[in-house]
Amino acid sequence: MTPRTLPGRTLRNTWSSVFETGWGAHAYPYLMVLPAVVVVIGVVVYPLASGIITAFYDVTLRTLNSGSAEFVGLRNFERVLADPAFVQASVNTVIWVVLNVVVQLALGLALALLLHRAMPGIGFFRSGILVPWVVPSVVAVLTWRWMYDPSVGIANELLVRLGLIDNYHPWLGDTSTALYAVTVESIWKGTPFVMLLLLAALQLVPRSILEAASMDGASGWRKLWYVILPQIRVSFAIAAVLTFILTVNNFNAIWLMTEGGPLNSSEILFTLAYKYGFKRFDLGMASAVATMLFVGLVIATTVYLKLIQAREGD
Amino acid sequence: MSKNGTWKTSAAGIALAVGMGMSPAMADNVVLWVNSPLASAPDAPIYEELQAFEAETGHAVEVQPVAHMEMERNLFVALSGGAGPDVMALDIAWVAGLADAGLLADLTEKSEPLAAQFQKGPFASGRFEQKQYALPLYTNNVALFVNDKMLAEAGIEKAPTNWDEFRQAAIAMTDEEKGTYGLTFGGGRMGAFQLYSYIWQNGGDIIDTEGNVRVGEAGAVGAVDFLGKLYTEDKAMPEAVLTAGSWDEVNAPFIQERAGMLVSGDWAISALKNGNPDLDWSVHPLPAGKEAATVIGGYDLAINANSSVPDASWQLVEWLTGPRGVELMRKYNRLSAAAGATAPEAIASLPEEMRPFMEQADAGRARPVVAQWSQIHNEIIANAWDSVLRGTPAQEAMAEADKQIKALVGQQ
Amino acid sequence: MEAAAIHEREQEKLAARPKSRALRLPRQVRTGLLYLSLWIAFIWAVFPFYWMIATSIRGKEEIFQRPPSLLPHTVTIQNYVDLLVGAQFWRYAMNSLILTLGVTIISVLISVTAGYAMARHRFKGSVMLPLFMLYGQMFPPVLLLIPFYVQLRFLGWLDSLYGLTPVYLSYMLPLCVWLMRGFFSQVPLSLEDAARMDGCTRWQAFWKVILPMARPGIVAVATWVMIHTWNEFLYASTFILSEKKRTLPLGLSGLIGQYTTDWGVLMAGGVITAAPILLVFFFLQRHLVSGVGGGAVKG
Repeated sequence: MTPRTLPGRTLRNTWSSVFETGWGAHAYPYLMVLPAVVVVIGVVVYPLASGIITAFYDVTLRTLNSGSAEFVGLRNFERVLADPAFVQASVNTVIWVVLNVVVQLALGLALALLLHRAMPGIGFFRSGILVPWVVPSVVAVLTWRWMYDPSVGIANELLVRLGLIDNYHPWLGDTSTALYAVTVESIWKGTPFVMLLLLAALQLVPRSILEAASMDGASGWRKLWYVILPQIRVSFAIAAVLTFILTVNNFNAIWLMTEGGPLNSSEILFTLAYKYGFKRFDLGMASAVATMLFVGLVIATTVYLKLIQAREGD
Repeated sequence: MSKNGTWKTSAAGIALAVGMGMSPAMADNVVLWVNSPLASAPDAPIYEELQAFEAETGHAVEVQPVAHMEMERNLFVALSGGAGPDVMALDIAWVAGLADAGLLADLTEKSEPLAAQFQKGPFASGRFEQKQYALPLYTNNVALFVNDKMLAEAGIEKAPTNWDEFRQAAIAMTDEEKGTYGLTFGGGRMGAFQLYSYIWQNGGDIIDTEGNVRVGEAGAVGAVDFLGKLYTEDKAMPEAVLTAGSWDEVNAPFIQERAGMLVSGDWAISALKNGNPDLDWSVHPLPAGKEAATVIGGYDLAINANSSVPDASWQLVEWLTGPRGVELMRKYNRLSAAAGATAPEAIASLPEEMRPFMEQADAGRARPVVAQWSQIHNEIIANAWDSVLRGTPAQEAMAEADKQIKALVGQQ
Repeated sequence: MEAAAIHEREQEKLAARPKSRALRLPRQVRTGLLYLSLWIAFIWAVFPFYWMIATSIRGKEEIFQRPPSLLPHTVTIQNYVDLLVGAQFWRYAMNSLILTLGVTIISVLISVTAGYAMARHRFKGSVMLPLFMLYGQMFPPVLLLIPFYVQLRFLGWLDSLYGLTPVYLSYMLPLCVWLMRGFFSQVPLSLEDAARMDGCTRWQAFWKVILPMARPGIVAVATWVMIHTWNEFLYASTFILSEKKRTLPLGLSGLIGQYTTDWGVLMAGGVITAAPILLVFFFLQRHLVSGVGGGAVKG
């Protein structure tokens, strides 16, 4: 690209010409990312580093106050690993993440395909289905807790009327259902955002491709698998990574509904870290859990993105 | 560590504006954190009281209401960041933990002359390892709420006064057909809080005054067994007991006339009145076991050990816990922790439904004041109670709790 | 992938055509099924919100009625009156508004340039930086409370809306940059080249051609930031202390008592908190999904 040598219009002389040649051209991209980098270093890197370092110190309410926190190596990690609650929280985290990510992506994709059509009233449905995403999470969680209420919860009443259950069930109080009851809320809240990302991507799929596929008589599933999905794979990957991160770090849902109970049956690593930190006031242990969670997330995300890139490279 | 610059400047400004000429003493700016129900609206009584305090002393008070749910965390974050309020209202169960970390100012000397002014139990709640760190702002304990109509329909004439009557009444009011239950109760730490009174009534203890862990002993186990079986065997509690982690959830079945009895404190009164104005209920002292006992709750006032204005802070604490504080707490319908409040004539002047609480105040017992109390209560005993509700024998659950608590406080 | 699709198409042409035709349901039935599934999804999504409104307008006695009835028997706006008359809710709403606008504008400005540079330019770290940004989002936010508190205290920014802004940026910006980068990489290079041919500088090409093209993406990111800022609770509840500076979610949590919670009032507060952001959202949602990419992108 050498616009100035082209005939016709010449380069307008503005302040921004500085970036066309030499030093300016070299610095241009750096200048554009600079503000973001400054903010990220200031408010992400420092707190994060401080959080990770805490995992290796004996930081409690007492040592913080006296300023005598000592380096304890991996002892915080040892203490965490010895806690039976940690094992349960790890298992629950896996269930929680897999269920949320899989169901949210599947439902989100189905909804996006459904809402992608030009049909009368589609705008109405789109707006309605996006409501859960917009409702403040504190409000949403409280509402769901209210709906799950074992004595006057509407969820129980509806299920009884539909004939699915015989008696009101304490969904959040039963160790075998608590985690899943919270998962339902989280899926309700998270799916619309996935749907939105995928819907936006679907709008980008050139109509000609879809039309060609339809004209060729490709059946719905085949069209989806061979034509549509490859076209939106970048957005799908983004949606997957975001859902993954947001699910692991979804604190409000579990904390405000069950606080990880009863008997740790809905404890995930995040709520466990919170309990260590702000109920027991043992920041060392809390940071140890958070650090493990962080490392796990980083590894999982990197592997996933590498896989995607590898496939794109084919 | 001192407050940041802005506060100092504003303190100086207020000192000039308010303090000059009114009081010879130095005027300071005191930051006060209170639990939000006390400062729920701009016209809450506490504001008027603080104006009186400001007019009298020349100090300025900045009130910051903090929700109960967030108070513990916010105090932790603020105090460990080297800041935080000068004076704070603390649930009495938090005093030991904060005092142990050295975050509360030692008030032993200053408060000594005032000791006779308070009831013994609430005063002791501010004590940790022979030092006084907090003074009681208000107190409460739990009593028995009875639905009179349901009790009469079950053919029982008077509210239960001992465990046998209590259990019989609970079973009599339970009717599977009608969907009614004898007693509504809490799960997890909510239930644990209600349990303590019964453990003491049964001659048991959690951690005694010498520091021995006693939850695995017969007294404690028997009480947990007695209550647990009301649910697991007699089905005299609604299933809500499994999830009830807040007073609302505990109260709800009582409000809906699905449960005939409720073990709760004075805070339930307004909930019942609001929730169901037609409800026919009365309050009675908690039925006694081998002895009478009821768990003390409430809020204390404490001073930040790092406060830059310790003297003004002490003046504020003294003011709010003193005679004027009694009057102030009456406006909130809270029970005063003042010694005089248990006198018969003082009790007689209370609204009828408040009297039983004050009448049984002498049987009030404070929870163990140990640094790890939050964890013992929120995790260990709460989990033991949850397991009992889900079918674990009380003996086994409490033995496990005993082991965990001993490990925690370092008694193997 | 493209090749596979075409290959598949060929196959379909040869073999599957009659079969797939035969499987097709009549048009009316298909439309009927479509609308049925749309309605199910709609009710599933909206019902909890409906239940919130229904609870907020019930009389006090009816809230604990058993069994609960789908439609309120008595309707009262008392809960809303209690909240809105004289109470602090207006001030909270104002604080939320200021904070939301501030955070949204700053994050959009910063993430647009950064996202564009990352998508379009090769520079040192142009591969690692986006990943790095994403990682910044992964540490559990609660554990950052104390470092943030120390920072804000050092700056004297505690208990202020402007102090909350950088904290929110930390929580929004990495994802914003990441999303923006995704949007910019979907805008074809050819457009920028054409603009440059016409004599635009790089900056002009970005400003006049690329930015308008990426508008739906910008709207999407802005909406995302707006919704999350408006709704954020954890940081606000820790760093905002005075009554005067509270945001709506904090006001809402103030309604949850230690001992008693008035569900009617709480749900009314929920409706009030959610209403403004819902309105903004409905206004924006047309831009959100419609014509991302517009005509120029079509193959």
